[in-house]
Amino acid sequence: MERKPTHASILSPQAVDWSEVRRRLEILQGAMARSATPAVEEIRRILKSRAKALAREAPEKEGGENFIQVVTFLLAFENYAIDSCSVREVYPLKELVPLPGTPPFVLGITSVRGRIISVLDLKKFFDLPEKGLTDQNKVIVVRADFMEFGLLADAILGTRSIPLAEIQPSLATLTGIRSDYLRGVTKDRLVVLDAARLVSDPRIIVHEESMA
Amino acid sequence: MGVMAMKWFLNLSTRAKLFLGFGLMVLLLVVMVTTAYDGIATIRESQRRLYELDFEDAVDLSLLRANSNGARMETLEMMLTPRPSEQEALQRAIQNRKRTNDEIVQRLQQRNRGDAEFLGPLGEFDQLRKAYEEIRDEKVIPLALQGKIDEAQALGVGPQAERYDKMRSILRRLDDAAIEDARTSLAESDRKAGESVRILLGVGLLAVILAVAAVLFLARIIASPLVEISRVAERVAAKDLTVGVPANGRTDEVGRLAETFRKMVENLRSVTRDIGEGVNVLGSAASEILASTTQVASGASETATAVSETTSTVEEVKQTAQVSTQKAKYVSEAAQKAAQISQTGRKAVEETIEGMRVIREQMESVAESIVRLSEQSQAISEIIATVNDLADQSNLLAVNAAIEAAKAGEQGKGFAVVAQEVKSLAEQSKQATAQVRAILTDIQKATSAAVMATERGSKAVDAGAKQSVQAGEAVQKLAESNTEAAQAATQIAASSQQQLVGMDQVALAMENIKQASTQNVASTRQAEAAAQNLHQLGQKLKQLVEQYKV
Repeated sequence: MERKPTHASILSPQAVDWSEVRRRLEILQGAMARSATPAVEEIRRILKSRAKALAREAPEKEGGENFIQVVTFLLAFENYAIDSCSVREVYPLKELVPLPGTPPFVLGITSVRGRIISVLDLKKFFDLPEKGLTDQNKVIVVRADFMEFGLLADAILGTRSIPLAEIQPSLATLTGIRSDYLRGVTKDRLVVLDAARLVSDPRIIVHEESMA
Repeated sequence: MGVMAMKWFLNLSTRAKLFLGFGLMVLLLVVMVTTAYDGIATIRESQRRLYELDFEDAVDLSLLRANSNGARMETLEMMLTPRPSEQEALQRAIQNRKRTNDEIVQRLQQRNRGDAEFLGPLGEFDQLRKAYEEIRDEKVIPLALQGKIDEAQALGVGPQAERYDKMRSILRRLDDAAIEDARTSLAESDRKAGESVRILLGVGLLAVILAVAAVLFLARIIASPLVEISRVAERVAAKDLTVGVPANGRTDEVGRLAETFRKMVENLRSVTRDIGEGVNVLGSAASEILASTTQVASGASETATAVSETTSTVEEVKQTAQVSTQKAKYVSEAAQKAAQISQTGRKAVEETIEGMRVIREQMESVAESIVRLSEQSQAISEIIATVNDLADQSNLLAVNAAIEAAKAGEQGKGFAVVAQEVKSLAEQSKQATAQVRAILTDIQKATSAAVMATERGSKAVDAGAKQSVQAGEAVQKLAESNTEAAQAATQIAASSQQQLVGMDQVALAMENIKQASTQNVASTRQAEAAAQNLHQLGQKLKQLVEQYKV
């Protein structure tokens, strides 16, 4: 019965309160005008809260030698971190060109400020589920002594400093190639990669001769 | 010859036999009576002659002697009596006796005419008497009267006395002769009477013998077969119909009786057999009738009950018909009103169709507005994408800045703070854009829903318009139907009125039926009782018939 509206509800003018609708529309227009030019008090309040948040975070980062600076990123919903010192920069993944005749973990090549670098997919190494490439994907440009390459990341989370004491050695259960690149795991399940070992691994180097 | 006669006699009718038998009797009786009459007549003749001739003569002679004696005695008395009165009386008596003697003599003479033997002495006596009386009357009596008794006596003793003696002797002689005659006649009469008695006895004996023989014969030829038949009749009376009647082959009444009786017994037997069968049929029929009647009685009772119920139902139907009449009138009026209302409804429907058209236009403009809104939302979305891209790039820049600051070491620390600040701003921008995008998604969904709702509304309005047209047609049909309904209701009202009248008649008829049914029930009860009686009668008849041996 309720599904079927009665004639009274259709025909009666009380069904839609047009004056109420008009009132709400006016309020919304007023709010729009106000938000376009925020009040001075509002701006001041936002700034103040930011200042507070920053002021609280400062003492945590003190500590000197026992901390390492890392760039944290997402790989298939897992948090990974890599030492900032081995990272040259992060860059949005644009115009990836697939490279024929390369192993599956080599996604392709891209141009970063005029330099051509290869992009590796760690998910292939770590047997993580594929997610597909979007324009949200980022490339972490890693620079070692003699070579430079990009690591595909689903998203860049930011930079942070981690106390060295917090990094626990790699789990005994982890074996194979995965354990080879890990430096350790923190309490909050952040997997810290060892950039130096990653770079020095001969497996990532494509030998054209062997391919040929 | 004798057998033939016997046969002829046997075949004579009983009446003829009886006539013959009794005729014989009567003949014998006539012979007897004739014989007796003859004897009696002979006796009576002899007696008459005895009386008339001998006996009367003797009496008359005695009287004559007595009178003569009396007259002499009175003459003597007159001589002895001195008184003249007495003498005169005596004289008169003497004269009377003289006249009497005259008459007697005359009588005797007349009676014994032709009898010379008798008339001779009598004439002599008469002469003597007359002479005696002449002397007495002319001489003796006058002397006595004159008182000359002696002379008179003298006259009397002399010749007079002689005469008297002669007279007396003649009379005595005659008297004796008369008595002798009488005695002879009596003896003759006795002889004749005895002869008559003997003849009578002989004839009577013969008659008795013949009568006994006839009776025995008739009894043998009439009674014996009747006894035989009566024995059979007794067995029939004792309800034994198996008995056979012997046929004697006679054609008289007895033979016919036997034949008829035989036929009667046969008929009785067949009739009894038929009656037995009929009684069986009657018994079963009576049982069936009784059962049927019982059923009919119960049926009649049920019918009576049903009729009562029907009567009350008819009453209810009557009331219902009254209500129907009123309702039909009410419906007729209502239908007329409804016809007017449906005209109004038609106008309203036309207005509704017009209103629907306006609503559709409004809906179209609303839909256009919403589509424009959606397009503008799309523009906002593009702007937001740009902003998001900017925030993303700002974020990367902040990360790179932080990396650079980390590489710079202690000198880059201030720069790291700025980089952190930039990163925070970038993330806030990104969150804001995400919120805006979410809102825009909502708006997009809402506008899509609104467009679809408007479309649905538009279609609904179209359908409404179509339905309004249909409603208009329906209202038109409704109006026509109402007009028809009004007419129908008027007809129903009339019909109901007729029905009411009819139901009145039905009620009357039901009342009659009810009475008839009540009578029916009573009649059926009587019929049931009659059937019961019939049943009992059949049983009784059966018992009766079963007593007969067929």
